[in-house]
Amino acid sequence: MKRRESQETVPYGEIDTTAILDRKPLGDVVLEVHGLTHWFGDVCVLDGVDLTMREGEVVGLIGPGGVGKSVFVKLCCGLLVPDAGEIHILGKDLLALDDKERQELRTRVGLVFQNYALFDFMTVGDNVAFPMRQRGQASEAEIAAKVQERLSEVDLPKVQHLMPNELSGGMKKRVGLARANINDPEFIFFDDPTAGLDPVTSSKIFNLVRRTQEQRNSTCLVISHDIDRMRPVCDRYVLLYDARVRFQGTEQDAMASSDPIVHEFFRAGMVGRA
Amino acid sequence: MKLLAMIGRTCLGAAETVGGITIVFARILRAMFPPRFDRDETWLNLYKVGVKSYPIVIMTAMFTGAIMVIQSGQYVKQTGATGLLGWGAGYAVLAEIGPVLIGLMFSGRVGANNTAELGTMKVTEQLDALRALAIDPINHLVVPRFLSMMVMLLLLTALGDLFALIGGALTSELILEVDYRVFFHGVFEGHLLDEYFTGLCKAASFGASISVISCFYGLNVSGGATGVGRAVNQCVVTSAIGIFVWDYLITYLAN
Repeated sequence: MKRRESQETVPYGEIDTTAILDRKPLGDVVLEVHGLTHWFGDVCVLDGVDLTMREGEVVGLIGPGGVGKSVFVKLCCGLLVPDAGEIHILGKDLLALDDKERQELRTRVGLVFQNYALFDFMTVGDNVAFPMRQRGQASEAEIAAKVQERLSEVDLPKVQHLMPNELSGGMKKRVGLARANINDPEFIFFDDPTAGLDPVTSSKIFNLVRRTQEQRNSTCLVISHDIDRMRPVCDRYVLLYDARVRFQGTEQDAMASSDPIVHEFFRAGMVGRA
Repeated sequence: MKLLAMIGRTCLGAAETVGGITIVFARILRAMFPPRFDRDETWLNLYKVGVKSYPIVIMTAMFTGAIMVIQSGQYVKQTGATGLLGWGAGYAVLAEIGPVLIGLMFSGRVGANNTAELGTMKVTEQLDALRALAIDPINHLVVPRFLSMMVMLLLLTALGDLFALIGGALTSELILEVDYRVFFHGVFEGHLLDEYFTGLCKAASFGASISVISCFYGLNVSGGATGVGRAVNQCVVTSAIGIFVWDYLITYLAN
């Protein structure tokens, strides 16, 4: 098992494909989803989806566009209410919580949005500081120090005073990541963190995902179509297809699968490897 | 059959809107007792809603007072009842025209802006981001807007009443050649305090109504930029209806 010497040895935009994560052993189950079903009008987006994740695990959620990956993440964060099923996250039954308990749980869960969702009326610094400031448990000096630390982690130490519309797409994604990390969440959902980004910036984002996971041993669910760049990050993959889980397992399991759809999907996702 | 279906759809749509507005209002009340809203955001909104609106309110009010005087001017000249000029203009402005016109102006400027702002936040997932960061949009965005609009429309109407009377007095002096002291004598001797407070009561209820309606439409936007435009349109129309319904109710109760 080859161990990476330092996080800084991975140059900007380059995927460290040889690196195998030196992670702590996986811990207890932190996400347990059973029979998750969700309808939008007459359309069944998710039909009895099951998923279990352990502490410190990184799972790649893949599937064709419009299959319900983002909906799945929003259901797990409590932003949508499912029509049927159970969601247990960080030891809590999400659907049985009252408003106050759900708010409390959300401070332990981070979400990086596909379309950034930065508050456009605040500076970058205020965006990142906002969740911490709202909790009211830290002084302004502590908040400023932590904001600087989080922005430095995503290689954006000097953009605090800028407004979100002054940033590029990749920078917005990184600010979103810094904001999601400000309260040191135990579980982070990444909703297509590389959508619309060039390959170099995509690699950079995945390196950041990996670094975040390593530093805090957080559990991560990453949605992406870019299987090739997800390889150094994910422990295993879940393929959503036709509103159901079509496959769960490692890349090797996928390549050994006799299911033509699984095979086709993984091959297509790895076209750029050669 | 088609007509029945259309009537049914309209009734269901109206019931859905009224129900939705009532739910937003109930959630606002729940967040206020005990107070859990964002105080910084409230101060910011008081500034945005109030300070930035007063020039247009003053202008509207001055013209309203002036128009009232011009409208009644020919009868005053015919009858020579110059003493009634201040009373007539004051009565109309303080009890009715002032609050309603300022309310309509306010709904067009502030209510529409509020719906567009919340609607844009909704379609760009900023509201979801707030919730994901454990911040309740009702406490953080809606309650501060509700308080700001209610308080500021009341204060703007009080200010507008003053400038409407000044506009009326100037017009009576400059166009009708009725001394401004005679005009103000008519206002003060007319015992219009009840009308004044009725007007302020209307203004506060208009402010509350505009804020709840604009927040409801903003929070329920769907369909991107087109959806935001549609919600703004619906907000302005429903707010105008709300203003006239409240005006009717308060006028009925006050008399």
